[in-house]
Amino acid sequence: MNGRQPVVVGVHATEQALSLPHRDAMGLALEAVRGAIEDAGLTPADVDGAQVDWPGPGGVPGEGSSWARMLGRDLRWTSDSMLDNAGSRGLLKAAAAVRAGFADTVVVGGCKLVSRGAGPVGAGVPLEFADVWGSYVVAQFALVAARHMHQYGTTAHQLAEVAATVRNNGTTNPEAMMYGRGPYTADDVLASRMVATPFHLLDCCIVGEGGAALVVTTAERARDLPHPPVAVLGGGMEYHQAAYANPALYREVGQLGRDAATRAYAMAGIGPQDVDVFSLYDPNSFEIIRQLEILGLCGEGEGGPLAASGAIAVGGKHPVNPDGGCLAYAWNGTQQMTLKVVEAVRQLRGTAVHQVEGAELAVVGNAGSGAQHYEMSVLGRIR
Amino acid sequence: MSRPVPVATPLSRPFWDAARRGDLVVPHCPACGLRFLVPEPACPGCMSADWRYVPSAGRGTVYSVTVVHRAPGPGFETPFALAVIDLDEGGTLLSHVDAGDPDDVTIGMRVRVDFRPLTDEITLPYFVPVPGD
Repeated sequence: MNGRQPVVVGVHATEQALSLPHRDAMGLALEAVRGAIEDAGLTPADVDGAQVDWPGPGGVPGEGSSWARMLGRDLRWTSDSMLDNAGSRGLLKAAAAVRAGFADTVVVGGCKLVSRGAGPVGAGVPLEFADVWGSYVVAQFALVAARHMHQYGTTAHQLAEVAATVRNNGTTNPEAMMYGRGPYTADDVLASRMVATPFHLLDCCIVGEGGAALVVTTAERARDLPHPPVAVLGGGMEYHQAAYANPALYREVGQLGRDAATRAYAMAGIGPQDVDVFSLYDPNSFEIIRQLEILGLCGEGEGGPLAASGAIAVGGKHPVNPDGGCLAYAWNGTQQMTLKVVEAVRQLRGTAVHQVEGAELAVVGNAGSGAQHYEMSVLGRIR
Repeated sequence: MSRPVPVATPLSRPFWDAARRGDLVVPHCPACGLRFLVPEPACPGCMSADWRYVPSAGRGTVYSVTVVHRAPGPGFETPFALAVIDLDEGGTLLSHVDAGDPDDVTIGMRVRVDFRPLTDEITLPYFVPVPGD
């Protein structure tokens, strides 16, 4: 393996809860960064790159180079953008920097509190042709799901099976926001109140608070670090348009991510059937069904039956979100994307709460706005 | 509290001016023939900045619909049918289809525009079913 092969060596998830009134965003970001560096067996001064949210107070809010004073050294790599600081997108940019030699060790993550009293989540900026119609995240995804159901006969019961399966992983995960709630059957999901057809309340993810971070370095640097390194074997990103200004149309974005996945698999030299565990964006039950298709586990329109067959359970053929996902573990704004990487790394280390036995290859899929963007990475255990 | 009111921009002002007169207009690019919404600084088909608003007859087909029971904020009467409308001449927009019972709105349903004032400045292009079309 190339000495500059990017590897994840540290991860940290803060507490995740519906509300953390005793915490602030800056404190959570600091904890995430400290935690990930400590988990890597490194010290702050070992880190020469920071793609981390800086909410303030202190420093310059929004400016990533504020982290230089916290890490106690001049940085060689940073980012000011929230989406560049999270999940597969943050990880792939950090990996590219490490591979190219712009930096040796990069921390990615942060915290930006978005939910406290926010109610249903919208785009975050005024949208002239959308807001006036009562468009918001759940409704935009619903428009895509409804069209898939119309074209392919995907059923509300299949969606409910997905929601129940992933939620029940959270029921028995002590770190999950919904720990101890449930277990749920598909009928429980269908009996919960309607939010926006076809999504019932239990089809939709929770909205909460928390932070997360990870540390990327080179395989060479990772040799004497405590945890088995997890290699970034491949990745791909796809952007149809900016979020929510136009409605997400199934004919345009229903298969968005397929190209990213094809390229990511090729880069990693694997196929979808080789993947042991999937850590996928689940703002609702349907988005998992869609991703089974774009990730090449079945053909277009076949995701409903596959998802409802038991394949996505921890003991199934294609386990999805053993931590409970956004449906039951945590959705915390942008950093839920990083939590997807954290779970994949834990699975590949063999230390996950609901461990997929012998997991060697994991896929992380982040998405958003209906989904009009997709960011995927392939991670693997180095033996 | 009321629902969010669109704030016209230099790109969109002709759309809202026309709506106030009861006309639906859609950006059209003479260079490549594309009709598109929402208005953009340049044509999404060919990047020409020379597009113009052209009239639409205001008829179309429901591409997708969700019946929203939980509104994103105050000012909305729930449930309502939030729909994506493909206009016959081209161009796709988000709107509400008022069919009386929102559960009656279906994918493939034929609809026509029905302007309803929201404020002095802003008149909204709702849609209503066209039976037998």
